[in-house]
Amino acid sequence: MKTPFIRGLFAALCCAGLLAAVPTCAKEYLITGVKPNGLVVIDPAARKVEKSFKIPGAGVAPGTIVPSPDGKIAYVVTNHLESVSGIDLESGKEVFRADFSGNNLRVKAMFAMDVSPDGKELFVFQSPVRLLPSEYKVEDTRIAVYRTADGVGAKPVRLLPAPRRLAVLAFAKDGGTLWALGWDLYALDPKTGAIRETRQVLNWTRENYGPPDILDVWPQFEQAAVFSTPYFTSRTDLPPTDPSAFKTGVLTLDLASGKLEMKDFENTSAVIFSSVVNPKKRDELFSVYTQLSKIDAAGGALVKRVDLPHTYYSINIAGDGKEVYVGGTACDVGVYSTDTLDRLGQIEIAGCPDQGVASLRMIRR
Amino acid sequence: MRRMRGLASGLALAGALTTSGMAGGGAVWAAEPPRPDEGNAKAIIAERCSTCHERQADGTLNRIDHVRKTPEGWTMTLFRMNQIHGANLSAADSRALVAYLSSRQGLAPEEAAPFRYILERQPSMVETPIAEGDLSVMCARCHSAARFGLQRRDADEWRRLANFHLGQFPTTEYSALGRDRKWWEIASTQTPELLGQKFPMKTAEWADWQKAAKPDLAGVWAISGHRPGLGTYGGTATVAPDGDGYSVRYDLTDAVGQPLTGTGRALVYTGFEWRGATTLGGKELREVFAASKDGQTLAGRWFLADHDEVGASVTAVKTTTAPATILGFSQEHLKTGASARVTVWGSGLDGGPVDFGPGVTVKPVSQSATAVVVEVAAAANAAPGPRKVSVGKATGMGFTVYAALDSVAVEPAFTIARVGGNGGTTAPVSAQFEAVGYLNGPDGKAGTEDDIRVGALPAAWTLEPFNDAAKLMEDVKFAGTIAASGLFAPAAAGPNPQRAFSTNNIGDLKVVATVRDGAASLTGEGRLISTVQRWNDPPIR
Repeated sequence: MKTPFIRGLFAALCCAGLLAAVPTCAKEYLITGVKPNGLVVIDPAARKVEKSFKIPGAGVAPGTIVPSPDGKIAYVVTNHLESVSGIDLESGKEVFRADFSGNNLRVKAMFAMDVSPDGKELFVFQSPVRLLPSEYKVEDTRIAVYRTADGVGAKPVRLLPAPRRLAVLAFAKDGGTLWALGWDLYALDPKTGAIRETRQVLNWTRENYGPPDILDVWPQFEQAAVFSTPYFTSRTDLPPTDPSAFKTGVLTLDLASGKLEMKDFENTSAVIFSSVVNPKKRDELFSVYTQLSKIDAAGGALVKRVDLPHTYYSINIAGDGKEVYVGGTACDVGVYSTDTLDRLGQIEIAGCPDQGVASLRMIRR
Repeated sequence: MRRMRGLASGLALAGALTTSGMAGGGAVWAAEPPRPDEGNAKAIIAERCSTCHERQADGTLNRIDHVRKTPEGWTMTLFRMNQIHGANLSAADSRALVAYLSSRQGLAPEEAAPFRYILERQPSMVETPIAEGDLSVMCARCHSAARFGLQRRDADEWRRLANFHLGQFPTTEYSALGRDRKWWEIASTQTPELLGQKFPMKTAEWADWQKAAKPDLAGVWAISGHRPGLGTYGGTATVAPDGDGYSVRYDLTDAVGQPLTGTGRALVYTGFEWRGATTLGGKELREVFAASKDGQTLAGRWFLADHDEVGASVTAVKTTTAPATILGFSQEHLKTGASARVTVWGSGLDGGPVDFGPGVTVKPVSQSATAVVVEVAAAANAAPGPRKVSVGKATGMGFTVYAALDSVAVEPAFTIARVGGNGGTTAPVSAQFEAVGYLNGPDGKAGTEDDIRVGALPAAWTLEPFNDAAKLMEDVKFAGTIAASGLFAPAAAGPNPQRAFSTNNIGDLKVVATVRDGAASLTGEGRLISTVQRWNDPPIR
């Protein structure tokens, strides 16, 4: 990365509109978390780590990462799920922090978190438990809303009721709806938490099909503004010995239009943890675990699958749709061609730290 | 966790350092045995526990007084109180509390009986699913069903336990078979009600056991058992009062007549739960036995202190008072036309002639109260089948005459091993297989309930991929090796760059035993999944 001064100047030029017609003025950076309690900024084009920051306070494994819409701050779940820290991606300084627990209430952020499109409010799904002298009392889950401007020491400005076991929060592009994925997909009012609409997921009923199973804790929807996740289901009319008795599909939720689609694409033949949609070919989807798959989401077909050198949990994609990045689990980010699925390169994180389940997010600066 | 594992082994020694005398000396205990640590335990509870566990209007302490558990269960509770609630209990405090609490609020013999496998750390146990209330999915998808089956609480207290579970492990409602349902809604309403009915605090069994005289286990015991992969053993255990427990001296011989001796020390919790720490044949062992209510038998398992998958079954009877009986044989089978020197182990064996049934001649070599050595020869036309062997008044099954094997089974039919070592904190877990010969029963079919067990036989062992996935991943090449003894040794832990996806050395294997029986060759198959490390290994899994 250039010096902050040069870089700032470069950004200022872009913003001033002098280079506004040149789309390449915005550069993409990947953000990932590493153990212990680190945050890493990667320049994928240069195949190198730009910056590494230490997240202040206790904590080992950074969890969900949500970048601010302007790409300046990364909000990271830390402190054994009991805090969120906002790190300035230029300076590494902690510019926002909310510690959830206190007053005998232990509060954990359970994966789901997003920021409003205007960047002003951070929504954190929380699971609280009251620690009484000789017993625990599980309390109702909720979404705590923080004003990002409140900085370090932020307290929730609203506590919204929320169904249990949410794993993903994703704002609609217009900011008018907060989508929440748990047993089903809920359209929440970001002001009140009221469930305006429930789209059936686990409760999706299809003749001769069991309920689909989803556990996706990786919000990787910023490039195409489409949230996607694999699901696994089974045919109830076929014996378990039949290879076509088990199906893998993908769920896609267009965050601009609100359109939800769920479509099987193969007889289950691979474990898949997370997926990302190509912003340039919006029916094209990529998924990871031990294999990288290219999926025709609209056609319901597996296009291509290649083995990966090891397990990767998370995935993201370049804005031009040419390269897909696989991360999480170990200490490298693999770079693959979206066209051929050839491995084009990799970014090694110094000291080989474990990325664990940290999100792999893309910012444009 | 290492520390937890140490604690598990340490339990066997609980109280070993408290040397004050005890009531005992051969007398049957009173209903409430006076324990030297009782006063101390009460003081510890008052000082360390009752700050948080407030005294209720009825005089009981919240939570503590409303739960019954095994010694291992209480050990785990105290460990947690130290780890996450700052109870600051010393090792001596914990020993006193485990002894006190499991005596005052333990499980009756009948209550613990269905779940002893978990206390004994049996390596190949597959639990029968509990369909009622879907308990095996609601609870036993993360830990054994025995873990809750060995606790007694009323519904309210089970509900508090459910609150602890989700409060402490908030991912419970996200894990497979938890996320497919409204887990918390069920776990906080229906499940505690059902558990309160199935496993309530107050039971007739416990009330009776509290009142019952507890057995004195001092005396000379006849003992026998089976060490998978090594064969049977037998001899005597001399048990004497020692402080608040017992000392033990083992005088055993193994299947080939080699001596196996050692000494140890044991405590008895709840009046019948024997926990011992012994050095036998130079190896450190832990013992988990249950005494019968009348104190005439002991049964259970011992295992290596640092590798609990390696162990032996144990059955013992008190020689002074139990009826004469045969407990075991150094060799459990004899082929027609063959002869062998066999040791018969048991109690009261010095009282008469030895008989292996028609067609088997017996020539005595030596005879004592607990071991008879005989030369036996089976005639070519001796009738194949199980034999009721007698030595005077003592009788016992478990000896089979056979002409030709009908089948061979690999036992256990399914088990697991675990990768380990390689600089990691967790040792590998091996798996021991045996090739067991069988005769067909009256139905003439192999593999059915009425098959007649001949016993473990020497075999040639091979590993094969269990299925196509295992073949593709070359599991046989990477997962480990099996020795001539049937002992599977897993490969080293950690990612293996030689493997596809750099995966670790796990494997799904078919374990094949080939037994030669005269001119015939019989094979049996078992399944082994060699899997990843267990990072958290509590006394009750």
